Amino acid sequence: MTCSYGDAKLWVHTPVSQQASGAWVDDIYRERIRETPLFGKPNPGDPIPRQRVELFRGINLEEHIDSAFYRRGWTDGLPIVVPTVERVHEMLRYSTLSPQSVLGEMDPLRGIATAEKLAANAVMAGCKPAYFPVVLTAAKAILLPEFNLRGVQTTDENVTPLIIVNGPIVQRLGINGGIGALGPGWRANATIGRAIRLIMQNIGGGWPGVVSLAGIAQPARYTLCIAELEEKSPWPPLHVDAGLTAETSAITILRAESSINVTGDLSDIVSVMGSATSAFSILHGGKVCVLLGPATALKLSKDGFTKQDVAKYLFDHARIPIEQWETLWIKKNIGASYGFPSWVGDAEVKGSIPVVQRWQDIIIFVAGGDAPIAQHVYFPTWGFPPCHVTVPIDLPRDWDLQDTNF
Amino acid sequence: MVPGHVDVQSLAELENNLTTVTVPQVISALTESRETQKAVVEPSPTEVVFEGTLDEVDRFFYENLWSDGLPIVPPTRERIEQFLRFTDRKPDEVIGSVQPDSRAATIWNIAVNGVMAGCRPKYMPILIALVEAMVDPGYGVEHSGNTPGAETQIIINGPIIKTLGFNYEQGALRDGFQANTSIGRFWRLYLRNVAGFLLHQNDKGTFGNTWRVVLAENEDVLAAIGWAPVCADMGLKPGDNAITVSRFTGGNVIVSVFGSTAEESLPYLADAVAKHTGWELMFTVGPMGGSYRPLLILSPIIAKTIASSGYSKADVQKYLFEHARVPARMFEKYISGWTNLVPGRRSLYDMAALGKAPRIFAQSRDPDRLVPIVLRPQDFMIAVSGDPWRTNCYFLVHNGMLGYPTTKAVQLPPDFAARLRQSPFS
Repeated sequence: MTCSYGDAKLWVHTPVSQQASGAWVDDIYRERIRETPLFGKPNPGDPIPRQRVELFRGINLEEHIDSAFYRRGWTDGLPIVVPTVERVHEMLRYSTLSPQSVLGEMDPLRGIATAEKLAANAVMAGCKPAYFPVVLTAAKAILLPEFNLRGVQTTDENVTPLIIVNGPIVQRLGINGGIGALGPGWRANATIGRAIRLIMQNIGGGWPGVVSLAGIAQPARYTLCIAELEEKSPWPPLHVDAGLTAETSAITILRAESSINVTGDLSDIVSVMGSATSAFSILHGGKVCVLLGPATALKLSKDGFTKQDVAKYLFDHARIPIEQWETLWIKKNIGASYGFPSWVGDAEVKGSIPVVQRWQDIIIFVAGGDAPIAQHVYFPTWGFPPCHVTVPIDLPRDWDLQDTNF
Repeated sequence: MVPGHVDVQSLAELENNLTTVTVPQVISALTESRETQKAVVEPSPTEVVFEGTLDEVDRFFYENLWSDGLPIVPPTRERIEQFLRFTDRKPDEVIGSVQPDSRAATIWNIAVNGVMAGCRPKYMPILIALVEAMVDPGYGVEHSGNTPGAETQIIINGPIIKTLGFNYEQGALRDGFQANTSIGRFWRLYLRNVAGFLLHQNDKGTFGNTWRVVLAENEDVLAAIGWAPVCADMGLKPGDNAITVSRFTGGNVIVSVFGSTAEESLPYLADAVAKHTGWELMFTVGPMGGSYRPLLILSPIIAKTIASSGYSKADVQKYLFEHARVPARMFEKYISGWTNLVPGRRSLYDMAALGKAPRIFAQSRDPDRLVPIVLRPQDFMIAVSGDPWRTNCYFLVHNGMLGYPTTKAVQLPPDFAARLRQSPFS
């Protein structure tokens, strides 16, 4: 028998999930795009094979598959690494789970999150196999009920998961917490965060403009993953705060509405926090996050501040004066119909509004470079319930023998 | 649901799991409206899902979990058409719905899986009868993914055994004959592709085992000794073409049965039958009581020896009912002492008093009294097959109502012989 297809072929995993009923989550995407075309989005076109694995043949295959995946709504717009059967298999070797293990049904479209589907999306994001334990753990974390993934995925706000990595795995994988850590240039940061976004889209069904109705979104929706710069922090790291040992590797996950650079010191952070930018954490009673530059953290520590002292300071000083509060759009509009939590009412009587209910709701970690002028980041938050989870990373038994130098 | 397995949780863990997971789920299921599930769109039956080389087809089916790991025969339209020539039923006829995926069982998808399994087209009437048994609620296909991991044994009766070349002699339960082997594989592929049982997903068999090849009875010997075939015990007539399916967790050979009379050989068989039955007694008295139907396969020489002593099959069943017995205290250990199958650790005597066990299990309170392992003598299924000249027998331990014996007649088209002549290689 002669074969007219040539030699070039790739066996490729389907990265989208099925629901428990068997329906595929991206049916929704296809239907909506057909009903209401979205600017610049191609029509998904030909019927999509409803299979676990698809065979592609031809020339320029990687490019062809990238285009096909984009057309089907399976990418984030950047080129993807093709999730071949071999690459997905290699990714799964770095987990303790069998391919069909189910981590949960992912909101809002309830796609079944199997280890294999997670691995396919991690490959697409460009993750090296050794990153997979971090991706799996982050996926586990966003599946926790308290993370309210349904809200995060469907709100018209611009929130995205903020993944902070702690422990020995940071060194092992080269996850940046130093200079330029929120920017481009480090594969682990770039691809782990991207994997979680692709997972939220292809398994949870959070297609922008179709299911995810974030009004303007934010660049951090491509990726938002950073390590804590433990070696330059004078304080216990996040995972130790959460009760784990320093030798444990863990991720902490929060919700970031945006990431705002603050140049200066605590008083500058206070001025950014005590403004309209904190409106949604006040509305929902959220947990906000502050990234402190290492030099500032060291100075504060020398001045006798613990991390808790800093949080208390920020809580006490980052306030919206009542006159300004009354003029905020959110107070005048949503507040009138939706109502604020009762602690906000008590604060109004006292004349100023804190940005969160308790000082413990301000999460602080240390990262960044030794810039001549100190730089910090304020991550306002969105959504109910107040959420801040730390989850230890499950490593495969032979982790210490694995090649993690890339 | 309760997360994990309740038997390995402390009371505190169990309470926490119940209050934080189970109770909210129950409340949610009872009080919230469910989103309407979308219908699942699958390739239409006649759609060509793939084109490629033989190797590519094989890999494609394997990667998509449509194959058991052995190479499949590509189900091309031509091959499917050949199968359809051996039935007059319409390809889109729906025979029933198969749990757990609730897919329609159709003549077409029977042919597709028959092709894949390596069956020959002329087996088609048998494949249809098998699927009729599979969708019969009395069989209970929905239990096929349960943790004991039992596997179906197909028994075939009738002249079709010889017409289609089934092995019914030496090596009767071994692969090597196409009819026995490929039809056994068909059953498992159908469970995978139509019923939807997949390992690591909804097939939760702790161990499981490979599909069993079809057991064909030696009807010549049965006729010679005047015993009815299995299909007649199940309500059809001797000489009918029929299949019987039932699920068995395992089996063992009973080697070198010695003796020249029934009285000499039956005690050994009764001993083996009783010894191989343990936790399965829950299918006799317990949560699924009354459904234990173990299968004893006699080699022809043993069957002839027993019959020559004047024993009918019913006499053998009666003998086993009276002699394949276990002490009541052992019975109670299996169903409620060493297992948690019958909560409350009630004795058989107490259960009989409550109407949960027949009186024969409560003729005294003596814990050492012997009690039967089935409810009725005819619950012992007996078949005759295997090497005609070997004195070995085989005993298969049954999975009760989780795969209860079900028999269906094999309907041959009226001109089946003519169709065979037209397609001698089919």
